[in-house]
Amino acid sequence: MEKTTELIVKEGNGFACIQCGRCTGSCPSGRECGLRTRRIVHMAKLGMEVYKCDELWDCTTCFTCQERCPKEVKITDIIIELRNLAVKNSFYPTMADVPKIIIQNLYRTGNGQPLSPEVSKLRSIIGLDKEPNDIAKNKAALADFQKLLDGLPLMRWGGI
Amino acid sequence: MDYAFFPGCIAKNVYPGIEKATRIVFEKMNVGLHDYPYSCCPPPGVVACYDKDTWYALGARNLALSEPDNRDIMTICAGCYGTLHNVWHELQHNDAKRAYVNEHLGRIGMTYKGTSRPIHFVDLLDGMRDTITQNKEVDLDLRVAVHYGCHYLKPTTVTGENSESPMLLDEIVGLVGCKSIPFKDRLTCCGAGGGVMSGEPELSLKIMERKLKNIKKADVDCIVNICSFCHMNFDQSQKKLESFDIPVLHLNQLLGLAFGVKHKHLGLHMNLVSTRDLVKKVKGAKKGRDEE
Repeated sequence: MEKTTELIVKEGNGFACIQCGRCTGSCPSGRECGLRTRRIVHMAKLGMEVYKCDELWDCTTCFTCQERCPKEVKITDIIIELRNLAVKNSFYPTMADVPKIIIQNLYRTGNGQPLSPEVSKLRSIIGLDKEPNDIAKNKAALADFQKLLDGLPLMRWGGI
Repeated sequence: MDYAFFPGCIAKNVYPGIEKATRIVFEKMNVGLHDYPYSCCPPPGVVACYDKDTWYALGARNLALSEPDNRDIMTICAGCYGTLHNVWHELQHNDAKRAYVNEHLGRIGMTYKGTSRPIHFVDLLDGMRDTITQNKEVDLDLRVAVHYGCHYLKPTTVTGENSESPMLLDEIVGLVGCKSIPFKDRLTCCGAGGGVMSGEPELSLKIMERKLKNIKKADVDCIVNICSFCHMNFDQSQKKLESFDIPVLHLNQLLGLAFGVKHKHLGLHMNLVSTRDLVKKVKGAKKGRDEE
């Protein structure tokens, strides 16, 4: 289900925001780039199309802002929901090819980070099974997993 | 004690030394670890940020796998823990979401009940301090910079941790003779999460560089983490930045050294940043103990 910006702000208690800026002051990413969490919350409150902003993708989702907010605004949760909205409207991060590959790997092997022949060799050197005893090795489980993913929204919105 | 073991894709497929160290250390402590056909958690930075409903459904599939055996799930990565624990927590409270994931899991003959809880291994170690001390063969005598990993600590409404002044990891490294050295902004993010490492790699590296500068000033022997994803970022970024050479150890690799396991069995030689000097120092400590 697609949420509106208003519903996202409401669910994240964003209308309680007093624009004090403690979130921006706590943000490890905002120190290095243009991400201003206070501005994102404010724009979202005003109903602006903040999901179109590139800065939305600069958040590492460390949750420090959310922890420190004196009004208990769920800022990180709001940012994650806004990203979901962005994706549904075809706004992706700058290097969108990489997440796309991760999603493709997830579908193909059950792991966002699949096993390479090099690491397979390293595994056997230290006495582990060449292949991990996981979904990639279990063909029946992988087939079920793919069937599960086929019916989930990520395959529609993942940009693949 | 028995747990379903969730290694996560970085420990399995990038830094297998972490998986190996975990298996050795927990075997020594008499904890049984059992494998299941897990997919990756799935990653919060990509999957949760792209579509949360998919994240819930795939996370619930992983959580449901050990339910028939009544086994809780041990994770060794703050990212995996973040996904599994947040999904579990949400599905405990949100009936509509639970119905949604069960509708999808039903398509492949599975049901989610919520009876198997995810647990981060460091919380497990918290209750096993005597066992750690009993297994210790070497007092490591190292100065270490500890890194908790954001999704182990936060959001505290879900984790129940103290996110501003946690001490657990500092105390556990202390049990094996290490001294946790304070450094500036020690709890800030490593810069990998939220899809930033994959989607905005230059920004991720800037956040890491600031972190490494602060750690370097603390003059430590190594960085000790409890998150495979942070581990990968710490090790790979130092190679990219070229101006740092601080060895990076997952806590289970550090415990392995303290339990007298050979460094090659712990995969320490597979890190990008050399661990040679560190291993030499530990061997010196071990030799000193043998001569006593």
